[in-house]
Parts: sequence; structure tokens; C-alpha cells
Amino acid sequence: MSGRSNVPSSAILQPTVPQRMGRVALILLALLFLGGFLILPVVAVFAQALSQGWKLYFESIRQEDVLSALRLTALVASIAVPLNVVFGIAASWAITRFDFHGKSLLITLIDIPLSVSPVVAGMMYVEVFGLHGWLGPWLQEHNLHVIFAVPGIVLATVFVTFPFVARELIPFMQAQGSDEETAAVVLGANGWSVFWRVTLPNIKWALLYGTILAASRSIGEFGAVSVVSGHIRGQTTTLPLEVEMLYNEYSFTAAFAAASLLTLAAIVTLVIKKMIEVTSGVHPVPEEEEVES
Amino acid sequence: MSIQIKNISKQFGSFTALSDVSMTIEAGELVALLGPSGSGKTTLLRIIAGLEAPDGGSILLHGEQATRQSASRRGIGFVFQHYALFRHMTIFENVAFGLRVQAAANKPSRAEIRERVQELLKLVQLDSFAKMYPEQLSGGQRQRVALARALAVRPKVLLLDEPFSALDAKVRKELRDWLRRIHDELHVTTVLVTHDQEEALEVADTVAILDHGKVEQIGTPQAVYDHPASPFVYDFLGDVNLFHGRLLAELSLDKRGNNIAERVESVIGFVRPHELELSRDLPEGQKAVLASVVRIHAAGPHVRLELRITGNGRPVAAELNRRRYEQLALTPGEFVFVWPQSIRLFDNAGASSLLIDQGGGI
Repeated sequence: MSGRSNVPSSAILQPTVPQRMGRVALILLALLFLGGFLILPVVAVFAQALSQGWKLYFESIRQEDVLSALRLTALVASIAVPLNVVFGIAASWAITRFDFHGKSLLITLIDIPLSVSPVVAGMMYVEVFGLHGWLGPWLQEHNLHVIFAVPGIVLATVFVTFPFVARELIPFMQAQGSDEETAAVVLGANGWSVFWRVTLPNIKWALLYGTILAASRSIGEFGAVSVVSGHIRGQTTTLPLEVEMLYNEYSFTAAFAAASLLTLAAIVTLVIKKMIEVTSGVHPVPEEEEVES
Repeated sequence: MSIQIKNISKQFGSFTALSDVSMTIEAGELVALLGPSGSGKTTLLRIIAGLEAPDGGSILLHGEQATRQSASRRGIGFVFQHYALFRHMTIFENVAFGLRVQAAANKPSRAEIRERVQELLKLVQLDSFAKMYPEQLSGGQRQRVALARALAVRPKVLLLDEPFSALDAKVRKELRDWLRRIHDELHVTTVLVTHDQEEALEVADTVAILDHGKVEQIGTPQAVYDHPASPFVYDFLGDVNLFHGRLLAELSLDKRGNNIAERVESVIGFVRPHELELSRDLPEGQKAVLASVVRIHAAGPHVRLELRITGNGRPVAAELNRRRYEQLALTPGEFVFVWPQSIRLFDNAGASSLLIDQGGGI
């Protein structure tokens, strides 16, 4: 402690009046900001969705177009998330457990989706798989539809959510080290045994955490999907696209009703994420530090 | 099972970890690989285990070629410096792991696994800890679990990589004795890597001293301690005083009666602190140097003295038993005569050495 010698130590721990006022002011400012920019908008979504009463709210949600958008979003997420889990584990395992040429290139490649605008990602797929794209004529010949169809939406979503699992696992696995796996190998375990019995149990919480993030993003993705979808009602519209279309058609109640579903999904994600943090110690909340000046 | 190490070499980039190392470890022997960090001892152990592939040379286990055999098939037990216990498994499951992952053909039954694990936990005196997790155990207990885990698969060779270096001094000593007892009971060929010379000399049947990727000397603890083959070994195996130059030339003259100083141009003399004789008065005919007492460390079974030779001001360490120390009753600042009871000389190449017994004089 570096208090001046003429100040009694008990006084150092007690903030002075101006200090205390400063604290209160800053906390109020932060609360105001949170309220204005986060909580109020979330409340507004539900308020707007329910403005014509619960009956109309449920009717809006039960519209065939909204339901089909909901189904498509679920389908896309249920393909994209498992793919990302497999890819994420494979990449993290390779990066943290082996040395090979091009390792740093792989690490950079994993990060590309985070730095590229989702719209650009969508356009890349149009350029490759679109009717006038590189593979377009060939796909046409074989009657395969990628762009303006479900495969394109899945591809775009996979691309955008690519880094989530890997980026969660790599630092975690690096910190854990490979001693336990080496021990398992020496004890006679083969590769699969090592993975199922040692690696997976050790990374399960970090993996779940990354999976939740990837799922949340794949449900909410708009930009990349918007480019490749073609906005065909009932066929290639995901929930976020449906929200936008309803909004542009001035069906505000319906738009907000659909938006409230996405918001609910986000809230559920946050709660699960928090539960993982609490039960597992992945990304622990820093413990409150002792007041010291 | 015997281990033959033939002309093993290993490079890490531009760093030579091992160059042309050969050694034979007999079945049932406990061998310590001793050396400073970077001497290649851990690399050699990992090559024996199959965790590292040598650039050249071969490893024979029980006379059979094993150089390209994978680590999981060599039938070895390995104990890591930082335990490497499976953190999500109970102590019981940790020890059972090696039995559970065996191929279906030789996989023991549940009852057999239970029996074997309990037998091992009893051996390491942790039978009441079976249901606990590694993080609930102390460092010494964890390393005992690690040893039980390694022994569960009845390895033909047990390899230990600095197993006690992360533990505090008292536990380290306990576990060391205890490892020796287990070895005497099971007679499994054991290789222990350590940088602690006391540990190596106390536990092992044979000590191999490594430096810069080469074997400096192999022998029984007594042989390497009493007859070090090189200045490095002498220095590494305990505290030592070095004397250079003219003083030594005279010394060699006195003993042999012919002029070694002319043949061996420059020599270094090694004297261990306990080989120094101290006295307040100079016995008749004894040559000695005069030194002042700088500090006295009297805690422990032996008393250590820091001395400074008057004239050239070189520091010298001496060690006395308590009785002699009490006889002398020295205090810091006093002057005392110092001479070696024995001294070992090496020329610059570190090749030749000779011993001068008591009475050699300076």
C-alpha cells in the first residue's frame, strides 16, 4: 500500500466525499446508457409486438410464412452448428496438439469470417455458385440449386459462424496442455480412446460455450444469408429475413412479433451461456478485488 | 526387461539434444539419468518411451528392435513431472485407465480391474482416496497416484521424468525412499531422469551423467562420486573448490618427485569442501595456505565455512563435522591454515587425472 504517511490507514480505505460523488455519477451514467441502448429497445420489441393484444400476436406468429421461416432457420442452424462443432474440434486439436507447416496460415484462415463483412461473404458465394458464377453452368446442367436455395443459405451460415467453436477451444486447449493425452497414449490408448476418454471430457464446457455462440449467430445471421437467399417467401426466407420483409411491407405488428422470437432466442442463449460460466468455470467472472488505493 | 540405447542422436533445429549416445540398461536395474537442464536427459527418456523419434540410432527393448514402435505398444509406464493425472476422473478411474483402454482380447474383466486398482492403491497407500479427484490431493499424493497408474498395466519398463522436482524438499525425500522400496519389491527396470545429484546418487543402482547431449560417465553412485571422469562430473556431483595454476604445479611436483608441471602445462585441481583440513597451527612439515573465516553456517549435521585465501582473495568453501568444528572454535574474521587431504587434477582437455592422498601438502 502506498498511502502517504500522514494519512491514517483507515482513511485510505474510505473514499472521500468528492470520490464518492464521482463514483455515483459514473454508475448512474452507465445505468442510463444500458437502459437507453439495451433494455429499452428490448422492451420496445415486445411492447410493439403485443401492442394489438396477445391474440393478434399469436396470429402473426402462426402465419404460414412466419412458421416456414422459423422451420428454415431451425434447419439451417441444425446443419451449420454440428458442422462447426466438428470443424472447430478438428482445427483446435490440430493447432494445439501438432506442429505442421502452414499452421499460422490455418489460424489466420479461421479468423477471416470475423473480418469479412457478411454481405461480402454472401457475394462470394453468388460469384462461385450463382447462375453466372464459376460453377453456375455446371450446377445448372446437373440441376443443382445452391444460390437462391437452401444449400446456399446453409453455406453462407456455415461460413459466418466458422470461427466460433475453434476460437473458443484453441486458447482453452493451449492452456490445458497435452500432458494428459500423452499419458493416455503411453498407457496404451489409441487415438479414438484418447479423444473420447480424455480430450472431450476436458473441453466439454468450452465446446458447449462455443456451440451456443455459433448457434446464436446462425439463428440471427442476416447479411450473408440475405444475399444468397433470393427472398422467396415460404421457401428461402429465414426468420431475420422474414422480419425485414414484414417490416418493409408496413406489417409492424407481425414484424415485431417475429422479431420477438429472435429476441427470445437471444435471451435464452444468454441464460444458457451464463449457466455454463457459473457451473464450469469457463470464462469465470473475475472475483471482486479488495478495495485498495 | 533390458534397454539398449545405440548411437542415438537428436536435433531440435540447430540445437543438438543428443549426439551419438549409447548405453545399456540391464533388466531390473534402477538407472538415473543425471544432468543439468539442456543436457538431453529428458529427450533420451522420451525417445526410450517412444514419445520422440530419434534422428539416428536405435532403441532395443529386451533385445528387440523398438525404434519405430509407437509409444502405446511399448509396454512402458511413464511418470510425468507435473503428474498429468486425468483431472475429470476419480483416483480409481485414473489408475484403471490403462486397463480399460486395452484391446478387447486382453482386456481384464470389471472385477479384475477393481481388484488390480485396489491392490495398487494399497501399494501407494492411497486406498481411502479412490473416490476423490486429483485436485483434492496434495502434490506428493498425486505423484503416488501417477505411479500407481503407470504400474497398473504391469509395464516392463518404468520411466520417470523429474518426478519429484515439483515437490517440496521433505516430500521429495520421502517419495525418493519410497520409490526405491517399490523398485526393490517389483524389480521393474526403471529409468529416472533428474537434475538433483543427491537424488540420483541416493536412489539409483547406476548413474549416467549427461552433458550437452553426451554421456560423460556411467557407473555406480560411489564410483562416479569417488572417481569422476571429467571436471564436469566432479563439479556437478557436489560442491567443489577449484584451484588453478602455479600452486597446483608445485603440488604435483611434491607428490611424484618429478616435474609434472612441465608435462601438464596448466592444470585445475578439484577439492571437495569436506576434503579440506583446517587448523589454527601448522603441523611440522605441512604446507598450507592461510585463509580468513568469512562466514560460518552451523545449522545442520555439518558445519560449512566460507573462507578467503589471504593474498589472492579467492573464496574457498570448507565443511567440517561438528566435533572438529567445536574443537577449533573458529569465529568469523579469524585466520586459519588450510590444506587438502586429497586433490584431483585435470589438464585443460579434462583428460588425465591423478589423485594425491593425504600428506601431499602444498
